Amino acid sequence: MTAMNDTLDVTREPPKPRSHSLPYWEGTREKKLLVQYCRRTGRYQFFPRPTSIYTGRRDLEWREVSGKGKVFTYTVARRARDPLRGHEPFLIAVVTLDDANVNVMANVVHCKLEEMKIGLPMKPYWMPLANGTHLLMFEPDREAGAA
Amino acid sequence: MSLQDAAIVGYAETKIVEKSDRDVWELGAEILETLLDRTGFEKGEIDGLLLSSSMTGASNAFWSQTTADQLGLELDFCQTVDIGGCSPLGALARASAAIDAGLCTTALLLYADTQAVENNFRMRAFHSEWTVPYGLLGAPAAFGLLSKRYEHQFGLDYAALGKLAVTQRQHALLNDNACEKLRKPITIEDYLNSRMIADPIRLLDSVMICDGASGLLVTGRRRAEQKGITKIVVPIGYGERTNFRWDESIVDVTETGHSVAGKRAFAAAGLSPRDICSFHPYDDFIIAIMMQLEMLGFCKHGQGCDFVKENDFAYTGNLPLNTGGGQISAGQAGLAGGGTNLIEGVRQLFREGGARQVKNTKNALVTGIGGIPYARNWATSAVMILTPNA
Repeated sequence: MTAMNDTLDVTREPPKPRSHSLPYWEGTREKKLLVQYCRRTGRYQFFPRPTSIYTGRRDLEWREVSGKGKVFTYTVARRARDPLRGHEPFLIAVVTLDDANVNVMANVVHCKLEEMKIGLPMKPYWMPLANGTHLLMFEPDREAGAA
Repeated sequence: MSLQDAAIVGYAETKIVEKSDRDVWELGAEILETLLDRTGFEKGEIDGLLLSSSMTGASNAFWSQTTADQLGLELDFCQTVDIGGCSPLGALARASAAIDAGLCTTALLLYADTQAVENNFRMRAFHSEWTVPYGLLGAPAAFGLLSKRYEHQFGLDYAALGKLAVTQRQHALLNDNACEKLRKPITIEDYLNSRMIADPIRLLDSVMICDGASGLLVTGRRRAEQKGITKIVVPIGYGERTNFRWDESIVDVTETGHSVAGKRAFAAAGLSPRDICSFHPYDDFIIAIMMQLEMLGFCKHGQGCDFVKENDFAYTGNLPLNTGGGQISAGQAGLAGGGTNLIEGVRQLFREGGARQVKNTKNALVTGIGGIPYARNWATSAVMILTPNA
């Protein structure tokens, strides 16, 4: 089995939120995943934007979702930028969230390369950041059928 | 139609180098001087300036003004086009429109960047919050994600992709302006064995950031005739799409904006893919060439690898591909790199391809790819069809 670096020992600077992404980052303090929801179309969007990508109207609300989902695609990063340079190889996946139908990109932890595949069930893993917020990552959801 | 009233009267290109010992404006000056020498135009006749994006110029919000100042140009129209690798094609379309609208009469299109030695770029987009914390190595990782998805949906024949890499490399061997480091023959085995960067993207899938410049002199067809210039290249069809299917949260990432940009360009030109004599697609990664073949209608969606295996992309083949080596084998001149394949297309139509001259020069198709968005394929797709004096 080919172990991937979980990179959990690598310190990340807490990102500086924008005015329209602040609720997302505040939600992560309690490990809540908040996704923008467009009331007019009944659709979600990610990453957070200042307006609905569907209507151009700003009547968005934040809804908490489970963060469970399935791998849409993935790659093995064998070269990386700071802060992860020197910590390769590690996994990056795009995960389609089950209850929001959006794609979210993040590192995957606790997962061997042989286990990773498109369609693999995932659940959130929250990495603590220095300012009390958390960075969303994913790990295989073995209760949902990940081997 | 405005596009077809424009005439490219000259092209110029510096050698592409790993690290430039000359300033980006000195490269620009070489392009200007070469264009003046080749076309017989005087500097004072140039009243328009369009620049591609430039990593070196990226900290300067007055880039077109200050570049005009450095080059001693007095202008009626100037602008920087900021759609990444589509900027050189976009500049040609915008120059044609500006000339048609009477904003200027003759435009210098300058694509110059020294990203390898002087990168002044600072991104302000989604990255700081949504990809930087995950160590994403920009474009290679994005193309790794894209390739894995393509492979999942259709399968990927890596030997077919290797064939494209080898063909382009052979063309670079015939191109004195290609970066010397890349002018060494490769085999399909070399491609397959090159080290992984972001699975399944290999080293030999990827462009190398270099320094260099290229440019065009564009005027109205009537003005060219008045000057007695008969050797011209005309843009006869253009399509550009930024943010393809952006009002959908999840899309099939194997479909790109080239599908709509291509339809528009072909319709304006009155041509179809089977009419194309040489193909100069934007190549930041090898798989992008194959995906563009599909999206432009050379073959069906998902059948790109079969099409690659069945066709000959050498400059002597039935569909000559990036006959100067493309960016992947000639080097990517930073954000000006989109000019490399455009200039090669124009060179071929001028029948100045030398040792790599293609036989059929009735037209050439050039494309652009610009910007890497979040969890999709690319932001801008551009398609330009060119024809010699017709």
